[in-house]
Amino acid sequence: MSQDMKREFASRDELIAYVRQQFPEAAARDSSVPPILGGRKAAETALQQIDPGKYASTRNFLNGAVTRLSPYLRYGVLSLAEVRDAVLEKVRHPEEAVKLVNELGWRDYWQRLYAQLGNGIWQDREPYKTGYTAKDYSETLPQDVVEGSTGLVCIDSFSRELRETGYLHNHQRMWTAAYLVHWRRVRWQAGARWFLQHLLDGDPASNNLSWQWVASTFSHKPYFFNRENLERYTKAVYCRDCPLYGQCDFEGTYEYLEGKLFPHGEKVDRSGGSKSWERPKKGRRN
Amino acid sequence: MNNPIIWLHGDCLSPEGPAFQAHPEAPAIWVWDDALIDEWQLSLKRMVFIYECLLDLPVVIRRGDVAAEVIAFAIESGANQVVTTESPSPRFQDICRKIKRSHPIEVLPPEPFVRYDGYIDLKRFSRYWRVAEKYVF
Repeated sequence: MSQDMKREFASRDELIAYVRQQFPEAAARDSSVPPILGGRKAAETALQQIDPGKYASTRNFLNGAVTRLSPYLRYGVLSLAEVRDAVLEKVRHPEEAVKLVNELGWRDYWQRLYAQLGNGIWQDREPYKTGYTAKDYSETLPQDVVEGSTGLVCIDSFSRELRETGYLHNHQRMWTAAYLVHWRRVRWQAGARWFLQHLLDGDPASNNLSWQWVASTFSHKPYFFNRENLERYTKAVYCRDCPLYGQCDFEGTYEYLEGKLFPHGEKVDRSGGSKSWERPKKGRRN
Repeated sequence: MNNPIIWLHGDCLSPEGPAFQAHPEAPAIWVWDDALIDEWQLSLKRMVFIYECLLDLPVVIRRGDVAAEVIAFAIESGANQVVTTESPSPRFQDICRKIKRSHPIEVLPPEPFVRYDGYIDLKRFSRYWRVAEKYVF
């Protein structure tokens, strides 16, 4: 039997020093500390700050009114039912709550699938629809992505934010995942393991099945994006400082990139289908 | 008479959770799963976040082999039952099986998000949501 671990700390710094000392291997892997506070009190504060109406209209933008509740939901510090009730209390009309409650539904959906699939969440649910088979994808992450030294300001920033803060906006996750799987042809499992190491809300079900959605092993088509889409939802904060602007890997129309990334793939039907994350709308190249 | 301990795991770190609600006086334990930390190569920030969550709960914190530590805590507390909250994780099921060899275990469901017990097709989110949205509000 092990001894009780410490519970009394004079400050957050003292707690961090203690965890560092108790788990030196974890500190050696990456010693960044989370900017988001853990605990029920912090969760309640975050819950009070949600704005369901603003969330619905701005959530796809990096500076949008996202809730940042995911780390608390991940560990059951807040329950989905509790957040749903808080959302409904905040709105004047239930319709204003629909988008946020629908997004909560994604977590419930992933958890239900996890109960069914168990460790099967680590296996491809379906074949890739990219024209490639699983063996065409690398098992390991490219070092330049892990270190944030690809030269692409967006991807390097996402890599750094992931490692330093343990949090990425949903759109950043999608872009990073798509870059790794479709541009660098890395197996989604390698990327999923990397995210689980760092994300404060890292949950195997939500994480892996979302990676599979991007990869197309759990969707009808691969998710990919172009520079215009990234520039729009980031308000150009990365593109404006990028020396590769105008000639980066993400430059071009969706048709052009599709032909380049999936020359042997099925033609992607962009008229609808799976919508776990925002896809470009028909006739719109955002 | 029931004299349980509560086993808290990574899906139930709320003081409002079903185990605390059902047994407010029961001693509770969290065990850092050393093997899992190693397997997942968890970074320090995730562990600090979890530790902060634990400090808001009335829970004894230990580390090592989870099942063995929970059983040892139950024995030293003179408990005749272990109470915990449901989790879809296969590792959770394995640990429950090990604990069961020594103590009966009660697994409580979390408060449901979708108040519906019937069949839901999980092939795609859209199919799930078509049913869920009728019961979630």
